[in-house]
Amino acid sequence: MRIASAHSYEATIDVLQRRQVDLSDMQTRLTSGKRLLKASDDPAAAARAERALAAELRSDTSQRSVDASKVIMSQTESALGDAGDLLQQLREALVASGNATYTDAERSQLAGAMIGMRQQLLGVANRSDGSGSYLFGGQGSSQPPFVDSPTPVGVQFIGTSGQLQTASDTALPLSSDGVAGWLNASTGNGVFVTQSATNSVSGAPITGAWIDAGSVTDPSALFPVADTGYRVHFTSSTTYDIESYSVSSPATPPTVESSGAYQSGKAISLHGMSVTVTGTPTTGDQFNVAPSTPTLSVFDTIDAAIAELKTLNRTPAQRAQSTADRLRDIDSSMASLNLARSITGGALNLIDSETTRLGTQKLAAQTERSNAEDLDLPQALSEFQNQQTGYEAALKSYSMVQKMSLFQYISG
Amino acid sequence: MGTGALMSLGTRAMAASYAQLQTTSNNIANVNTKGYSRQEVQLATAGGQFTGAGFFGRGVDVTSVTRAHDEFLTREASLSSALAAADTARSDQLLRLEKIFGTGESGLGYATNQMFNAFADVASKPQDLSSRQVVLSRAGELAARFTTAGQQIDELQTGVTGDLQAAVSQINDLTSRIAVLNQKIVDGRGSGQPPNDLLDQRDTAVQDLSKLMQVSTIGAEDGSVSVFMGAGQALVLGTRTTSMVAMRDPYDNSRVTLGIATEAGNRALPTSLLTGGSVAGLMRFQSTDITDARNLLGQMALAVGLQVNEQQSLGLDLNGQTGAAMFRFGPVSGLPVLAANPSSANGGSAAISLTLQPPAALTAAGVSSVQASDYRITADGLGGFELARLKGGEIDPEFAAQSVLNGDVVDGFAISISGTAAAGDTFLLRPAGSAARNMQLNMTNPKLLAAASPLSATTGSMNTGTGEVGAIHYDSTDVAAYANLPATLKFQATAVAGQYTYTWTDSTGTRVPNTWSPGQPIVYPGTTPTNSFSVQINGVPTAADSSASPAVSSDTFVFGANAYPGSDNRNANALLALRDNPLVGAIWSGGTLQQGANVTDAFAGIVASIGVRVQSARSAAELSTGVAADAELARSSKSGVNLDEEAARLIQYQQTYQAAAKMLQVAQTVFDTLLQTAGR
Repeated sequence: MRIASAHSYEATIDVLQRRQVDLSDMQTRLTSGKRLLKASDDPAAAARAERALAAELRSDTSQRSVDASKVIMSQTESALGDAGDLLQQLREALVASGNATYTDAERSQLAGAMIGMRQQLLGVANRSDGSGSYLFGGQGSSQPPFVDSPTPVGVQFIGTSGQLQTASDTALPLSSDGVAGWLNASTGNGVFVTQSATNSVSGAPITGAWIDAGSVTDPSALFPVADTGYRVHFTSSTTYDIESYSVSSPATPPTVESSGAYQSGKAISLHGMSVTVTGTPTTGDQFNVAPSTPTLSVFDTIDAAIAELKTLNRTPAQRAQSTADRLRDIDSSMASLNLARSITGGALNLIDSETTRLGTQKLAAQTERSNAEDLDLPQALSEFQNQQTGYEAALKSYSMVQKMSLFQYISG
Repeated sequence: MGTGALMSLGTRAMAASYAQLQTTSNNIANVNTKGYSRQEVQLATAGGQFTGAGFFGRGVDVTSVTRAHDEFLTREASLSSALAAADTARSDQLLRLEKIFGTGESGLGYATNQMFNAFADVASKPQDLSSRQVVLSRAGELAARFTTAGQQIDELQTGVTGDLQAAVSQINDLTSRIAVLNQKIVDGRGSGQPPNDLLDQRDTAVQDLSKLMQVSTIGAEDGSVSVFMGAGQALVLGTRTTSMVAMRDPYDNSRVTLGIATEAGNRALPTSLLTGGSVAGLMRFQSTDITDARNLLGQMALAVGLQVNEQQSLGLDLNGQTGAAMFRFGPVSGLPVLAANPSSANGGSAAISLTLQPPAALTAAGVSSVQASDYRITADGLGGFELARLKGGEIDPEFAAQSVLNGDVVDGFAISISGTAAAGDTFLLRPAGSAARNMQLNMTNPKLLAAASPLSATTGSMNTGTGEVGAIHYDSTDVAAYANLPATLKFQATAVAGQYTYTWTDSTGTRVPNTWSPGQPIVYPGTTPTNSFSVQINGVPTAADSSASPAVSSDTFVFGANAYPGSDNRNANALLALRDNPLVGAIWSGGTLQQGANVTDAFAGIVASIGVRVQSARSAAELSTGVAADAELARSSKSGVNLDEEAARLIQYQQTYQAAAKMLQVAQTVFDTLLQTAGR
């Protein structure tokens, strides 16, 4: 075997160059801290790193959505807190108005104070998030969503009920359903509504007696027939009939179910419910008991209370009926807003856990990406050392071998 | 026997040694000369002189100077260097191609995700113009990255074209040099001695030629060699050469195919004749890698662009109008219309164009979405056309060729054919090829982003069940198409426990009940088949049940036109959800859908596939370069000059020369002795 001198030079230079390229390649990796400089360094890892990067971006994006929801939900929570405070004040004013010693003038003053609170409450319901959307705007609304209209319509929600949500990754609320919170409280005591109707003889409002909100005594016996309400119809000042009537078509003549003897303050039982009529009813006085519906607007309640307080010359029974009804309604509205507040609180809880989850998810993605493309520094450094030594050895052996030539010895 | 014999012996020996010294010096002088083969002086005894005492040698003769040469090793070295050149050329080009598909923050995948993710901020604040502007900026950035990548691929193609043209002219230079050398060698052999240097030059030329294009050689009696390309086409026959030409691709002017110049004009050569050499590597890069890269990139650009456009068209913008297209492919917006490239050899007048179809229409019709492939349509001349899918420039065996008619929709595009085609006319179809380069942002006003859904659903306030409206799917944003809205959806219990029917009530009255199974979309029948919509109800709604005591009334869900598109974000959420839509390269086969990839996976797939190509091309290049180096080592160990050897020879021949000179001295002394003896 003969080594051609020219070829051996070429080959050695080739080897040296290759070692130098490897060395500089490793140096680039060391300075950038990346194992993957090109996809071809490790195609599978490159694809993994791409996916991990997308996952990382996605976590960031979802976090931005979560933050957007958090801003709105915390504002909603505080708005509902304010609404609760205002309703509490209204409730106190209402309780005060029930004081039998108050004069009409004093009641008017209270009504004036309540008008102010009502305006504040409307302001809370129409609160915006500070950047153009309304906290209780539902799926979309006019600006602002709750619009004061002349009686008998009262405050209306102009918009689409429901709520907006962030993308399906998180699906957190971006608005609250204003209709459900403010306008759809349960009427009555939540199961049924008692209502002081008119006198069937005179057609005038009832002035001598009033009915309380009632209570449930036997849930299984409630309203056995759909669309049917019941009526306590006084046939004299001491006797009454229990009639059933159609809620949807009140004009249909009612059916008498039973009769009873009246005693003021004594509970009347009907179909699992117990209601109490107090005072001195006159013949023809009617009190309705109908299923509760989710249609109670907090503004209507306040408007009714104000109107009633402003009405002069009402009988004590009428005032007692008003106070009882409005307190009942305010409580129902408060319950509805409290429910909205707890839903908001639930969303805020979810937001916190989402934030934690997204943090974990992002960390996992970052770890995955780092695993796929980052350099193991100790290993790389030792490899670099190896390559350096190798290169040095190559240089040395090259210079030594090239010195060894026969011509060196025959020069003399 | 006189002293003359001694003199003559010495002289001859000196001449022989001198010749050897000269050859050795020549070897040393040419140690670094490319292609030089070590030369040796061939010596022979000059024969004997018969005497009664036997034969006396007459000394030495220089018979010839030969070169150290092994036909087999030389051919082996040429062949392996041809393969190494092919692999290296492709590997070098692929490295450049890989840079176009950058990864991480500079990559296309990142830009795509950034654009989709920007919709999340629009969803959080639909009326905020600045977050809408961010979407447009990201979309512009994405389109620019696609365009840049497309242009970079074009530049690679231009480079390859230039390289191929240069290679072809080098090939022609080399073949004519070989022909000239053939002539000289034939002439030189007349002298009876081998023209070593000419032979070396010819071997070098053949080796250089091999690096460009693998050739085979056949020697002739007269010393000339004929050079053949691959298996058959002759390039050099004795002293005659055939010129190669770099021809324009019949379908695409920017590409090059190889041909030979004949008297009847240029004739294209099938690429299968090319087996090695950098030309083969470049041709393979051109026909497979560049085409695939373009198609993969274009497929992704189309998937993103067309889907975003389609989802835009299903929403309402801030002005309450149907969303406009966000991207366009080419100078005008709308579905991209591409002209098929007719072969330059076509005889007929037919022209074919493709219209890319919107993704939803494809899904509805059960047609595959755009594939990362080129297609070829061949006319039979009788009005029939056959479509074949190509893979690396050849027909893809996985796609059964099918006959197509004007208006047919295949793999994401509709074919329209005009004019009449002659038999054998061919057209190249590239549905995805130009998409990346032509992708542009088609929107400047951020108000035109369609973040709102045209329909809204409200859940009845009296509802007692857990049913919620999950999603609404609709095909038209034209509110007039839903003229009978609002429509109320109600459920009814049936005799079978747990089985419900549903009814729609709209301005035309109540529709016939249909059976509902949970999880199934509920279709609202529109006025025409194209304007229905379907809704998904999650949870369990309360159904009307008149037999219950008391009777139960149904939960209601009301669907109507969206009155407040300004603050609605549902279409923005749908646009955001496109990032998970597995529509890149979805394939329908036999009525079933093989899902494609979502954009992230699609891009990761492209990165990996290009990476694997580079990796395997690089290892192939390393392997074949190693083999070529070994073959070269073997060849050079036979033909190359080793300086130590030559130094040793120098000493050897110097000593022989000195000995021969001594012979002369002895001869002279002998003669002198004789003269002195005779002179006394």
